[in-house]
Amino acid sequence: LFFSVACGKVTGLGPPGKPTLTNCRSPEKETFTCWWKPGPDGGLPTTYALYYLKDNSETVYECPDYHTAGRNSCFFNKNETSVWVNYNITVVATNKMGRTFSDPVDVDVAYIVQPHTPENVTVNVMEDEGWPFLRVSWESPHKADIRSGWITLVYELRSKMEGEEEWEEHFPGQQKTFNIFSVRSGSSYLVQVRCRPDHGFWSEWSPTTKTKVPKFFLGRSLWIL
Amino acid sequence: VCMVAVCGAIPIGDLLDRASQRSDKLHSLSTLLTQELDTHFPPIGRMMMPRPSMCHTSTLQGPTDKDQALQVSEHNLMSLVRSLLQSWADPLVLLSANANTLPHPAQSSIASKIQELQENSKSLGDGLNIVSGRMGPAAQVVSVFPYQGNSDFGNDKISKLINFQFLLSCFRRDSHKIDSFLKVLRCRSAQIRPEMC
Repeated sequence: LFFSVACGKVTGLGPPGKPTLTNCRSPEKETFTCWWKPGPDGGLPTTYALYYLKDNSETVYECPDYHTAGRNSCFFNKNETSVWVNYNITVVATNKMGRTFSDPVDVDVAYIVQPHTPENVTVNVMEDEGWPFLRVSWESPHKADIRSGWITLVYELRSKMEGEEEWEEHFPGQQKTFNIFSVRSGSSYLVQVRCRPDHGFWSEWSPTTKTKVPKFFLGRSLWIL
Repeated sequence: VCMVAVCGAIPIGDLLDRASQRSDKLHSLSTLLTQELDTHFPPIGRMMMPRPSMCHTSTLQGPTDKDQALQVSEHNLMSLVRSLLQSWADPLVLLSANANTLPHPAQSSIASKIQELQENSKSLGDGLNIVSGRMGPAAQVVSVFPYQGNSDFGNDKISKLINFQFLLSCFRRDSHKIDSFLKVLRCRSAQIRPEMC
């Protein structure tokens, strides 16, 4: 015993450092996930547990699912998620030498909605009286139930000619299609789309879709001449 | 939202669309206000703030997830929305009265936003009276939660700020409910125009 205590002092073994709850997000107002950052581990194997209290209840619950959302996270499925209810959340780090609590965080799912990116972004080259334009269309993230009105999404689109520095931004509102005019024939264009719920955070940008505009000639008649 | 004589001709889906634009604005305003207040809020105030379960409308039995919300009939959803909104008529007056003497650097901006909040809430209420009238008697049932909190926000700076922010945070949550339920109603009535949802 004496040996191990002495050894502990030499190598700085001790209770774990303080973990930090970094983020809680809900992609569709129906489930949510919280992530934390471990503190220094005190040189010993450390385990983490997440506990929460809900409004109007004295009962302390433990995280229902540590696996679905990856390391250092807790996933709350539909049955465990209520909106307009405060979750008071704390993470506890434990090792052989003791345990350390994070600062508690209050979360209401209503205020942490951040959707997944829009899906199936496609860009078609169209033609209007001999002039090319791009028709961009996409689908809402499939997990977000926009049909029932439970969540409302608005979109933002950005495009640039390949090699250009600056993106040009477009705001299609709730529409899921947008035309980009005044494109240069023979050039390639990059397009990305993201979405935001009526009250919440922007999603990530979708992966870049690259489209080449074929060579067009003024008014097409020139071509025939 | 619109005048009685004109509204009769407007499809109910369009009326609900206008109503949800108002409720959207109402919630966004309350979020802006909360953030503005937060910029100069004493750290001790955060710890002394009452729990959300102390809000005067917290005993309202309403849906708290999507499945529950989609099971509630249109009449009951409308009745819920109007009950919540009407329960805020008095406390909003109180917020407005206290905004004029709020010990906060952004006091005048806060006061004018509260004014806007009141006007939006009033016109949303007027609009919903018309919509619910068109939906039949069950949609017109309203049960108001009386506000029984202190009408005096206290004498010292910290109490004033805490009471103001607490009441505002209650309103913020309720306006989010109102907005969510109205948008569900809008989509139900918009089956002919699904592009709205």
